[in-house]
Amino acid sequence: MIWLNPATLVALLALAAPILIHILVQRRAERFPFPTLRFLQPARLAAIRRHVLEDVVLLAVRAAALAAAAAAVAGPLLVTPARRRAWEGRIVRATVIDDALRNVAQFLPPRREASAFAEASADRRRPGEDGQGGALGAAASAPAALHQEFPASPLSDGIRRAIAWLETAPPARRELVVMSSFPLNSITAADVAGVPADIGLRFERSGTLPSTRTVQAGRVWTSAGVVTRQVTLDGSRTSVREEATAEPLSWPIDVVSSPEYGSIADAAASAVRSQRVWAPPPDRRARLVLWEPASKAVVAHANAIADASAIDRPWMADAVAGMTRDADLRTAAGRIAGGFDETRFARAPWQVVAAAADGRPLVVAAGSPTRLIVVCGAQASDVVTPVVMRAIANAIAQVPDLQSAEVVSISDALLQGWSRSATPPRVPRVGAVESDDRRWFWLAALCLLALEMWIRRSRVSLSDREGREESVRVA
Amino acid sequence: MKTKRADTEGGPYAGSAGTGGVDAVRTRRGGPVCPPETLAQIADLELVARIIVEGLVSGLHRSPFHGYSAEFSQYRHYRPGDDLKYVDWKLVARTDRLYTKQFRETTNMAAALVLDASASMAFPVARRRVAEADLVRSAGPKAADRVLSKFRYAVIAAAALAHLISGQGDAIGLLAGERFLPPRTGRQHLRRLLATLGALEPHDAWHGGEMVRRAAEHMSRRGLLLVLSDFYDAEDRTLAELRRAARMGHEVVLFQILSLDELELPYRRDLEFTDLETGRRLAINAGLARREYKDAIAAFLERWRNRAAAEGFQYSLIVTDTPPDRALRNFLLSRTR
Repeated sequence: MIWLNPATLVALLALAAPILIHILVQRRAERFPFPTLRFLQPARLAAIRRHVLEDVVLLAVRAAALAAAAAAVAGPLLVTPARRRAWEGRIVRATVIDDALRNVAQFLPPRREASAFAEASADRRRPGEDGQGGALGAAASAPAALHQEFPASPLSDGIRRAIAWLETAPPARRELVVMSSFPLNSITAADVAGVPADIGLRFERSGTLPSTRTVQAGRVWTSAGVVTRQVTLDGSRTSVREEATAEPLSWPIDVVSSPEYGSIADAAASAVRSQRVWAPPPDRRARLVLWEPASKAVVAHANAIADASAIDRPWMADAVAGMTRDADLRTAAGRIAGGFDETRFARAPWQVVAAAADGRPLVVAAGSPTRLIVVCGAQASDVVTPVVMRAIANAIAQVPDLQSAEVVSISDALLQGWSRSATPPRVPRVGAVESDDRRWFWLAALCLLALEMWIRRSRVSLSDREGREESVRVA
Repeated sequence: MKTKRADTEGGPYAGSAGTGGVDAVRTRRGGPVCPPETLAQIADLELVARIIVEGLVSGLHRSPFHGYSAEFSQYRHYRPGDDLKYVDWKLVARTDRLYTKQFRETTNMAAALVLDASASMAFPVARRRVAEADLVRSAGPKAADRVLSKFRYAVIAAAALAHLISGQGDAIGLLAGERFLPPRTGRQHLRRLLATLGALEPHDAWHGGEMVRRAAEHMSRRGLLLVLSDFYDAEDRTLAELRRAARMGHEVVLFQILSLDELELPYRRDLEFTDLETGRRLAINAGLARREYKDAIAAFLERWRNRAAAEGFQYSLIVTDTPPDRALRNFLLSRTR
């Protein structure tokens, strides 16, 4: 027998209650006036103690009733051979289907399971799309739902959701099937290691990848201007072709600084462009304010941050997060001794991007209706200026994802090495089994309670009868 | 219940001295005038006494009490204290034994009722009053008398004896607790004695020796000392004073009044027994203690019976479920023989 909810066996401590009651409650003998005690032997006093021991039967029944109730709460499950055979005879399968396959008709798997998935998905909502809640909902409809599919992109996300669903599945052998063309890096060893050991793994390769693929790989700012990149993936070979963009593009970062630092700002922007940074879309722009409180441009600075507001656009939030992760910026800022003296940059709507050595903010960011505003407290001539400018440019740009264009697949040998068969079902959890044996324990508890009541009533009636006899005798 | 009581007839209390003994008081000669439970419900003690005595004296043509008048009645063995002038010296010469002559006395006998009014006589206490046992011990509520307690039984028997003795023209007195009525004759005195009896309540302990001594000393001439008690208190002292009273020339009659429950201890459960006189408590299982208890109380009764026989006292063991008239009838019959 196994316990589905063994933690509740702590309730067995409640057994102490009736035992303590039986020990602590002294049975008080009825007072009985008598002419003289000279003929009564005091040695018989011990009989009272013996009478308490007669209640052991009642105590045992009460304790057994409590134990049965506690055991029932703990979810007893008798693992009979038949039940174990039934568990081992079925399999719960979660299939992770690469979204790329589902969107391309020729990639649909010709296998029988795939047809079943398609039929199942026709009349069932897609639990994988609503995350954990969907998986639990599917578990609640067990045991009919022994198959579940999880469309996913990337595959690692689908695998995570499939594992969560399998954890709530009824006791059975569990298997995770991944259907994809398996481009390189679509699944990693880390993803496989995250799958519990008793869940079987099977990889179904569906469809084929093209031998060569040419994709647009974004635009890059260079010293010569903006160039468009075209990447060609041909087997293991990758080639990049760049072409100058015909349309005129302006540098996406406006710099606000004291007039005397204008040339320094231009030199910093030129240096950044020479390092080739990603060109953002035209609607993504930023304003860099090189803060100099003592300069004559105080009014200009104040105007530059006048429209600062909380960040409410996703790309701005992503950009701030990206800048915060920029290691070069953190290092450069850490070399500056002190940050802003003004405390307003430590409050909303400003968000700290990098801090100086004394812990105060040195680079902060905020939103505005048209652009991202970044204020830097370092001197314009400091190296922080080009570093923060580069960080802004890379953060507001969209880095092209070439993973989806991959033409090289994971080798069959590697997939074979990751594959494994499902092991016999492990101890199920209380919410996963279709039926357990707790009802028998509840029934036993009820029977014991009835027995306890019968014992008490029979003793009371016996006591009353004796009392009546004595009353008659006395009267 | 009745079966248990029937069992006691052949038990250790059979064959008591004198007219006593359960066998003697339970003879079927002459049905009971009234069940004891019914008598206990009658508040008018004079009426109770009359009911008993009127049914009792029918068939008794001679006074059962012997005095010292001129009409010879019988011989009895000489006892120290007897007046030597009543010794039949001729009989001494013939038999070489001392006998005292007794004469039938019709008007000049004096009798004293010595009634044990201790708390132990309140047993059995009505079950509903068990919680008020302390009250019984200290003040003895009258409601407890409604149950045929030993004390109520003793009061009824004493009233009947007083009515009988007074009806013969003899003097009758009473000593119970603090109340003392010297032996006198007359109907007014009888009513006063019965009223005193009716007003008695069992309480505290009974100093038997002291009571017997006072009763014997207050009787100016030889008389009859009728002691009604359970004789639990101060056995030796009581016996010594009884012996002294006998030596003073008084005839001593002992009525040991006990209840059947007291004799049988017919309880089975755990009970906290509370001594009615001392308030001491003892928790025991009555069923387990019964055998030893019965042995002890049988030895106690046997001891009193033997002592009474040895001292020449008339001894009667009366169980309270015996109708009082029947108990007295057997007692009186034994005296007329």
